[in-house]
Amino acid sequence: MNIWKISIKNLLHKPLYTALSVLALTISIGLLISIKQLDATLKQQFENNLADIDLVVGAKGSPLQLVLASVLHIDNPTGNISYDEAKKISKNRLVEMAIPMSYGDNFKGYRIVGSNISFSKFYKAEIEKGHDFKSPMEVVLGSDVANALQLKIGDTFLSSHGLAEEGSHEHPENFVVVGIYKQTHKVIDRLIVTPLESIWDVHNHEENEEHPSEESHHHAEENHHKAHNEETHNDQEITSLLVKFKNPMGLLRLPRQINSNTNMQAAIPKYEMERLFGFTGIGVKAISWIAYAILLISSLIIFINLFKMVKERAFDLALLRTYGASNFQLIKIVAYEGFVATFAAIFIGLILSKVGLFFVFKMLSNQFKQTIPQSLEFSNVITVLSWVMVMVVLAILLAILPILKMNVSKILSHEK
Amino acid sequence: MIQTKNISFQYQKNDAVFTFPDINLGKEEPLLILGKSGIGKTTLLHIIAGLLNPKSGEVTIDGTNLQSLNSKQRDQFIGKHIGLVFQKNFANRSLTVLENLEARLFFSGKTANKNNIPNLLKALQIEGCQTQKINELSEGQLQRLGIALAVIHEPKLILADEPTASLDDDNCQNVMQLLINQAKTNKSNLIVITHDQRVKSLFQNILTL
Repeated sequence: MNIWKISIKNLLHKPLYTALSVLALTISIGLLISIKQLDATLKQQFENNLADIDLVVGAKGSPLQLVLASVLHIDNPTGNISYDEAKKISKNRLVEMAIPMSYGDNFKGYRIVGSNISFSKFYKAEIEKGHDFKSPMEVVLGSDVANALQLKIGDTFLSSHGLAEEGSHEHPENFVVVGIYKQTHKVIDRLIVTPLESIWDVHNHEENEEHPSEESHHHAEENHHKAHNEETHNDQEITSLLVKFKNPMGLLRLPRQINSNTNMQAAIPKYEMERLFGFTGIGVKAISWIAYAILLISSLIIFINLFKMVKERAFDLALLRTYGASNFQLIKIVAYEGFVATFAAIFIGLILSKVGLFFVFKMLSNQFKQTIPQSLEFSNVITVLSWVMVMVVLAILLAILPILKMNVSKILSHEK
Repeated sequence: MIQTKNISFQYQKNDAVFTFPDINLGKEEPLLILGKSGIGKTTLLHIIAGLLNPKSGEVTIDGTNLQSLNSKQRDQFIGKHIGLVFQKNFANRSLTVLENLEARLFFSGKTANKNNIPNLLKALQIEGCQTQKINELSEGQLQRLGIALAVIHEPKLILADEPTASLDDDNCQNVMQLLINQAKTNKSNLIVITHDQRVKSLFQNILTL
């Protein structure tokens, strides 16, 4: 027999009250940890996806849409811009790296991005298998794409027009998988990267229409390339230009220049994301406040339960004093009851948040077609648990006050 | 063995002052203190048990002056050397009979007496109740458990406050006899205070307040 045993027996003696205390506390702990982790993970994921892209230049329209489309790859592009115009920006001395990007097609819902081999530098994505693309119609897959579609080096596929998985017809050209990137947990994991020329080719063929046979097809393609080289490229379009600056000066000058002097727009991903989080942050805050309110209520329930026990069972406690128990031992009995309930709630709460988040992230991963690493910030858990402990300790302290003022003789003679 | 000297008590200033006759009890002499309600019987019992401090006078149990101990020492002394029986015996309702006795031994620091529990319960005719919860016991069984809780740690002094008041005639004689026997077996002193005239015949040593 010891004090822990007595406390636990006391808890088990009133299963309903104990369950209520634990349940309320569990909900608040689970909710607080889940919402904080969800918030932290999504923020980190978005920031991760922004990579080193300081500026996006694209067609005029919503800057947020431009960023969502060209950086996070979750929205439709605003339109196209002239490749020549974009090239002028690349030449600016404040620009360290400027990479053109063109959209057009998808394969089973995964976007095919036309760019050059420097595209992967933004994401520090290295080739895991195979090699980088060298000529048109060669593609390198992001790791999630390769996993989800079970594609290997040498596999070929036909792209579908547009960015949506369903509908529209397939383009007749075969893309060839020549490489697969290592997993980066960035947006490139769910992209199919190919040279800009692939996109142009596919769509120019579209205009030329119909190829009678494979033989003539090859000829047609060769001729086409020749035509490309002879042409002055001034009709070529891209979706956007991803820019990394040499120093922050670029951020001050270039966006304004582009927005006022050209028919293109420049959007700053970091700024747009902050604006976006400003909106979603309200939801996170609201849920956090609700969770803290539940925490307050659950500590109140714990207090009431303990206080009730101290009051109703004053005789039992006084009796223990005649057994030789010190005041401190009585306090421990009450406090341990509170702590056992709290630790049970923390344990269940953590498990619940883990299970809940597992499904939430599975859903998110499916929706974004990208594996999202859960980032559980330890400081967040510590913050939540500290608050829980503060509230519980407060509840316990208030509940044990009657013990300190207990008059053993009076209780024993009045209960007679 | 048990001595009280010049005990007086006052609940609050301006309240009436209780004064009590001196008690001088030798080894294993049971004492019955009779008195009407309101005369201060329980007060005297609590003073002897060390739960109340008298206004004046002192209580000495087996050579230890209770008034000379600090509160922590007194707590420990009470737990180890005194057993209390009440009119209604509450025990911890979350625990079984056996667990209550174990808890009692744990707090008085006499866990070695655990082995005596089965014999004691047998002597008190509640050996079948070991694993029962408190609220499953009858009034008579509860009173027997009260005695068990008061004697399991082999105290120097057993103090009983109206132990038979809520029992019928049969149980009254039975329980009181058990209490006297247990005091004898454990070589403990016994003081019973009551207004219950039914138990008078069991005592030679009677003090009327």
